[in-house]
Amino acid sequence: MTDSKQALSVRDRARSLVGNQTSLLIVVMIVLSVVFTAFSNGTFLSTGVFANILTDWGGYILLAVGQTLVVISGGIDLSVGSTVSLSSVVAGFFMVKILGLNSDLKGVDAWGVLALAALVAIATGLVVGAVNAVLINVLKIVPFIATLSTFGAAAGLAIIVSGGMPMQGPSDFSLINPVRIPGIDPAVFDTGLFSPMVLVMIIVTAIVGLFLHKARFGLYTYAIGSNAFAARAAGINVKVHTSKIYLVSGALSGIAGFYAYIRLGSGSPSSGMGMELYAIAATVIGGASLMGGVGRMWGTALGTLILFTVQSGLLMTGVATDWKQIIVAILIAAAVAVQTLQKKNGAR
Amino acid sequence: MKRSLRTIAAFGVAAALAVGASGCAADKQITIAFVMGAESDPFFQAMKVGAEAEAKAEGVKLIWQGDASHYDVATEVPIVDNVIAQKPDGLVLIPTDPDGLQASNDKAIAAGIAVANVDTHVTDLSKVITFITGDNGDGGAKAAKAIADKIGYAAGKTYQVVVGLTSATATTNVARLEGFKAAVAQDYPGIQIMDVAYSAANPQTAASNVNNWLTKYPNLVGIFAIDGTNASGAAAALQAKGLTKKIALVGYDAYPANVELIKSGVFTALIAQDPAAEARLAIKTLVDYIKNKKSPAQRDVVIANVTLDANTSAADLAKYTYVATN
Repeated sequence: MTDSKQALSVRDRARSLVGNQTSLLIVVMIVLSVVFTAFSNGTFLSTGVFANILTDWGGYILLAVGQTLVVISGGIDLSVGSTVSLSSVVAGFFMVKILGLNSDLKGVDAWGVLALAALVAIATGLVVGAVNAVLINVLKIVPFIATLSTFGAAAGLAIIVSGGMPMQGPSDFSLINPVRIPGIDPAVFDTGLFSPMVLVMIIVTAIVGLFLHKARFGLYTYAIGSNAFAARAAGINVKVHTSKIYLVSGALSGIAGFYAYIRLGSGSPSSGMGMELYAIAATVIGGASLMGGVGRMWGTALGTLILFTVQSGLLMTGVATDWKQIIVAILIAAAVAVQTLQKKNGAR
Repeated sequence: MKRSLRTIAAFGVAAALAVGASGCAADKQITIAFVMGAESDPFFQAMKVGAEAEAKAEGVKLIWQGDASHYDVATEVPIVDNVIAQKPDGLVLIPTDPDGLQASNDKAIAAGIAVANVDTHVTDLSKVITFITGDNGDGGAKAAKAIADKIGYAAGKTYQVVVGLTSATATTNVARLEGFKAAVAQDYPGIQIMDVAYSAANPQTAASNVNNWLTKYPNLVGIFAIDGTNASGAAAALQAKGLTKKIALVGYDAYPANVELIKSGVFTALIAQDPAAEARLAIKTLVDYIKNKKSPAQRDVVIANVTLDANTSAADLAKYTYVATN
């Protein structure tokens, strides 16, 4: 730590690229994998299990990505889970009630209409994000309360739109199934890790990550979260920028809603149930501070991965899944403790 | 002006009702409050349809309440308190927790409200007018039979199955699982229940659990998805992995989307309840009690569950399929 201020060594450059928290998270991830492998007689360490973890990761990651932006800017977005429910239901409603299609439309034939449904889901998320932005920046409601109200409203609307039941429409389950490299026998070596939908989620995460760490958008976000007054004094339009952040969080939740639709083959009014808490947990485990100004996309991606490693690991080792909540709680507490220690040491 | 018109109209209606109800003890309109678990659950949507129909038929006012999406004791208790403050004549309560809702249940009774429990029940039912539920234990047994039939159960062989639940404490989940286990122990000892896991009411989590089980138990032959949420999630997971028809999937609750999937073979069978009938009977019993102070002959009423499968007639499928309220 002492010589880091003198000159930027390769190690320091590497560290500044991924951040301290990230290397810690990778260690946690490896330790968890080793423990779960040991206690599951080796069954945990398989392509199948990691494909399952990635499928779960794909469902939650964009909520965590959006939450990371919001949290770094010093806010919080509780509406993301309900937005998933609402946008998946609206996507279903669009295909079933407006276009008059049903579940007979399957596979590649459904791609055109599913692409349209994806746009509808994103638009739905944007609407929720816009309402959040107005509540926070025009009506001056604190983010916690503003997004708590949209959380309730979106959940209620999801029930009204769907009539309270899953809306089954066109589907293509191959989009959520891991793709294997052709020519390699899966019995010998299973290459099926990533489904097309998970790959899309990775790409979206990377794009938002670039905006956060390499563009002015990110610079403004950190500036506002660190000190909104100073940011305003420096000429940043804080209202406009935080509005953008809630819009992005809404749109990302809309994509997650579309992911839920593809995963279930139907728009379910409970498909986003409880997801907001996991998104916040993943963000905090990933090293973001609810005080604002601190957080990294790598951390969030790994934090989300750790959450679902725990979920799958407990099931594979046969430990009652009730323990998941306890382990997640420990991880959150540990993450915050590490942050505090790092702050003391003058590092971030 | 508008308000006075409304008042006059209300008086008119009240007068008409009073004339219509002449001979009855109560001249004022009876109000029945209905506090259910979670609005987002199709089971309660189907129940709402039955409750509204019966309230209309009986000419009583219905207050339908419950959390939008959380089937949770923490959200239900304040809702019940709020409803008691509105002084209804009767309360149909669906307790999300047997002990957690006991105090609210007793508070309503102490306030002179006639209370019925539907679907699930509080621990001490002694002052409750009626408890109406689907036969969840029998439903669990029917699920075991449906799985055994599908896998061609033969004595002496072993079969691996798993059960997807929503929570460890919901009394319907518990009763179904116990019925399932009892039937397995008695009639199909070769069936091994390898694991249970919880969805916390999110179908994506239910799908994730099934995904993990399929990896963990390559010889899995059957899944009992204990409610509609788990049924949706399990059906999606099996379809995604192309394991439809290869694994016996028995679900619960007749969501329209899931009934569709019986035809395509995704579901071996669905065990269906009749939530609308439960709601109708609960309101009818309470109104009867409030008007005539007459307790039902039997406090506990069990409405049988039915097995819906590929052999069920279209008419029966239509009868038991839940109706969406939109």
